[in-house]
Amino acid sequence: MRPLSRHLSTVAVLAMATGLAVALTAPPDQLQGNLQRLMYVHVPAAWLAYLSFAITFGASVGWLWKRKARLDRLAAASAEVGVFFTGLTIVLGSVWGKPVWGVWWTWDPRLVTTALMFFVYLGYLALRRATLDPTVRARRAAVFGVLAFGQVPVVHMSVIWWRALHQPPTVLRPGDPSIDHWMLAALVLNVLAFTAVYAVLLRSRIRLAADEEALAAAQDAATADLAGAAVTAPDYGRRTEPDV
Amino acid sequence: MISPRTEAPRPLLQALELTRKDLRLEVRAGEALLVTAPFGGVALLLVPLAVGTDVPMLRSVGSGMYWAVVLLFGVLITLRQSAVDAPQQVELLRLTGIHPAVQLLGRAGANAVLLLAFELAVLPVAVIVYDPPLNNWPWLVLVLPLVAIGLAVLGTLAGALTQGLAGRTTLGPLLVVPLALPLLLAATQTAEATRYGRPPWNWLALLLLVDLVAALAVVLSARSLEEGS
Repeated sequence: MRPLSRHLSTVAVLAMATGLAVALTAPPDQLQGNLQRLMYVHVPAAWLAYLSFAITFGASVGWLWKRKARLDRLAAASAEVGVFFTGLTIVLGSVWGKPVWGVWWTWDPRLVTTALMFFVYLGYLALRRATLDPTVRARRAAVFGVLAFGQVPVVHMSVIWWRALHQPPTVLRPGDPSIDHWMLAALVLNVLAFTAVYAVLLRSRIRLAADEEALAAAQDAATADLAGAAVTAPDYGRRTEPDV
Repeated sequence: MISPRTEAPRPLLQALELTRKDLRLEVRAGEALLVTAPFGGVALLLVPLAVGTDVPMLRSVGSGMYWAVVLLFGVLITLRQSAVDAPQQVELLRLTGIHPAVQLLGRAGANAVLLLAFELAVLPVAVIVYDPPLNNWPWLVLVLPLVAIGLAVLGTLAGALTQGLAGRTTLGPLLVVPLALPLLLAATQTAEATRYGRPPWNWLALLLLVDLVAALAVVLSARSLEEGS
């Protein structure tokens, strides 16, 4: 496990390069042509958004149970990366939607619920930023991290509950995936590559958070008064001679 | 001589007493109905000036505009109480030993009453300005309290999450409004369903579900939120 952790960045870069090559060589879609290749980045970004928020949920539950600082750091880091991937999903979907649907944005339930999920987790990050005390921040963020996860199944099921423009699930659905198997292989490879990138970003963010906490603790220690500093020793040495 | 042991009041009575306390404070301050409700009325008046005063168009969007104003301005009402709580008041309430879930539900009760009053105060303005079809008005008897309760509980939860924070007045709405979307959707779709002669039971069930889930979230997270404040 350790060598993989050490070379995670290299693995992520190689996986992304391979995924990109496979995405460009996979057969084009019969109707959309090369436009459909956006799927190989749009779907992994959406998957990573789900995964990030699921990890935030799990770490939040874990923090409420175990009260370990590393779980709070994991929840925060994963939410930050998840917000990035949710934003990326919306932008890529918009770029894909313009030539296919004719509009950058439409009032499709999947789009609306995804945008709401984006804002819910922006709220999570704003809540963290607004709370200065680390313990209070961790506790409140953990509660909200658990509540906010309720949005994720709504986003995933929105295409089933309300049939609209966005296509229903083609892979995560009951039965055989309704996608060409060569395309499916390219998609799975890109999902794995994006997951490796997620792991790199998550690890970096957690390390940065740990360093920030160490710096804050060191600064507090440097500026804080020492215990007992306010107490001065009585001055016995200067006994003045009585005036004669 | 040992005095007879007095039993603590039941949680429901405690919650009702806290609701009364918050409502009494609101009667003294008068902010929800004397400031926020007129502000909501002004918002309803401004929208047609921005989107155009086409009467058929306004008639069709009137119901949606009303519920959007209820949602956005209702959030301000639900967050007001937690914003005016002094730290000493919070500490004193904690020392009384009342369970934190009861404290939050008491506050949610007061917020629900205020929101219902706000909805009723703004409703005539929406009817006069937009002239929406009123054939579905009996359903409002169910929809108005269900939306008020859901929004009140979500707002109370956000108030507890942002208690004591400098940016709570802006952060609170950011936390509540996205989560309150099912309330807005169900309220507007109830009107749509009845307009086309369909009973809106599914949408009412959604409102009830949101209310129950939000109340459950308050009960489950209350202890953690009290420890964190």
